[in-house]
This record gives sequence, C-alpha cells and structure tokens, in this order.
Amino acid sequence: MGIEEVKEKVNEFLIEEFELEESQLVPTAIMKDDLDIESLDFVDIAVIVEKDFKIKVTSEEIQKIIKLEDLYNYIFEHYQN
Amino acid sequence: MKNALVTGGSGGIGSAICKKLADSGFNVLIHYNSNKEAASRVLSEISTTGGNAGLMQFDITKGEEISNAIEMWKQDNPDNYISVVVNNAGISKDVLMVWMEENDWNSVIETNLKSFYNITTCLLKDMILNKWGRIVSVVSLSGIKGLPGQTNYSAAKAGVIGASKALAQEVGKKNITVNAVAPGYIRTDMVSGLDEKQLKKLIPVNRFGKPEEVADLVSFLTSDEAAYITGEVININGGLYT
Repeated sequence: MGIEEVKEKVNEFLIEEFELEESQLVPTAIMKDDLDIESLDFVDIAVIVEKDFKIKVTSEEIQKIIKLEDLYNYIFEHYQN
Repeated sequence: MKNALVTGGSGGIGSAICKKLADSGFNVLIHYNSNKEAASRVLSEISTTGGNAGLMQFDITKGEEISNAIEMWKQDNPDNYISVVVNNAGISKDVLMVWMEENDWNSVIETNLKSFYNITTCLLKDMILNKWGRIVSVVSLSGIKGLPGQTNYSAAKAGVIGASKALAQEVGKKNITVNAVAPGYIRTDMVSGLDEKQLKKLIPVNRFGKPEEVADLVSFLTSDEAAYITGEVININGGLYT
C-alpha cells in the first residue's frame, strides 16, 4: 500500500468518525488543535488502524502522533513491516 | 438489548440491583465469586419474571480472571458490548487502626478500590468505541464522612469516589457517565448485627433503607435520562448525613 492510499483510507475514517471536512485534513494539521482529536479519540483511531491495517498500536507510540502526517507516516511505516 | 454487569450480584443490595436492571430491560450479568448458589437464585428469580440474565464468575482482585471472563463473553456476543457496570462487590474488615494488621488494610483496598481499576479497564474501551456507557459504583457514607473502625474501608471507598470523579472528566465527551451512590444503613446481612431500634433515632427518616431503594437510584443513573449527571456521589441514607 502506497502512502497516498494510506492517506485516502485515513481521511475516509476521520471524516466519518469525527465529522471532519476534507478541507481540514491537511498533512500539517495538528490533531488536537486543528482537528479537535483528543487523547481519548485515539482509542477509536487505534482500533480502526488495527482493523483496517492490521497494525497493533501501543499507547506509547500513539502519544507521539502530533500532526496528521505523523499518523499517515506511522501507518505507512508499520504497514510495510 | 443493553448489557449490564453487576459485581457482587448475589448480595443484598447487589441482587436488588440485578432485579431492577432486568426489570428496566437490561440483560444482566450477575457476577459472583464463590457464592454460585445465591447468584443462581437471583438468576432464576429474574428468569421467572421474564427478564434476561446470566452468571459471570471471577475474583474482582484478579485482573486476568476478569479479562478472561469478559473476553469469553465477548466471543459469545461478538456484536454486543457491556455498556453498564455497577461496581457493587466489596468487603469490610473493621478494626481500629491501632490494632489493624497490614493484611486487613491491603485486602480491603484490593477488593474495594483496585477492583475499580481491574473492571473498568476491561470494559472502558468498548464503551468509548460505542460512545455510550454507565459506570456506577456503590460506595458508602464511610468513604465520605469516614467512620471509626473502618480506616481501610473509608480509604478504599473515598478512593473510588476520587477515581470516579476523575474518570467522569476523561470520558464525558463519549457519553459515558461515572457516578457513585453512597448508601447509609440498608437492611442487608451486612447490618444484621446492628441495633436498628437504637440507630434509627439518628436517621431523620427514622428507619433503615431498603435494598430496592438503592437499586432504584442505581437504575436511574444507568438510564438515558441520567445522561447529564456525572462525577457525582449521591447519598441515599434517610438524611443521616448530607
């Protein structure tokens, strides 16, 4: 899966799960401030990532995700392995 | 149908809560540790009145046992989740602090406070994902006022109150409420050794409470109607302490 496909899938679930507009989903968007995705929301994200990409996310790793591009890259890197 | 787990579901207050929640339309998971006979009696009472219920066994001090029991339930109910938990199980080992053994302290803290962690962590993720949940803990006047001879029990119950208030703030956005009810003297085996005639003079309502009255309050807190009540401790004690 290429990075563009990861982006597309992630954006799809963010729009659906958090009622975000596609225009908000720029890679440099800060999850907490720009997208209003707080620490508790990462539970939903972790489960979706686990289900869609078969990646087991740890709380330690998820806390390092600040910007949307961090999430894309995290999934992209782990999906390769 | 929503599923509600009631820990210590075979005791005086616990069984009343189980029956009330079944009446309110929940599928009730009646938890017990060692008293299967009493839990089975509650189950058959619920079944005969047309309610839905089942038994769930684990030791609330053992995290692994709890997660195994809940995982097994999930395997049987893959499209469902436990949306309500009533933390009711508990023990007391009353003794004045000056005579208290370390084990009396530790076991009461483990059973009454650590169990809050053990059980909540097993159920919370599903509540968050489903964006609806109710966590109600049965605490005690002892955890609010402090009662002599119960430093261990008062500490544990006060701990549950603090944890509930903190958790309420963590998960409010996900439509999960976290509350506690604090019964005073309720007619159960736990107070059977007490002199009601003497003690009721101290209670403005002039009697001990009934387990069903506590169950009604718990039931309300688990309902949709109570969605805006969270992080609260509600006293139910006949006006003994407010």
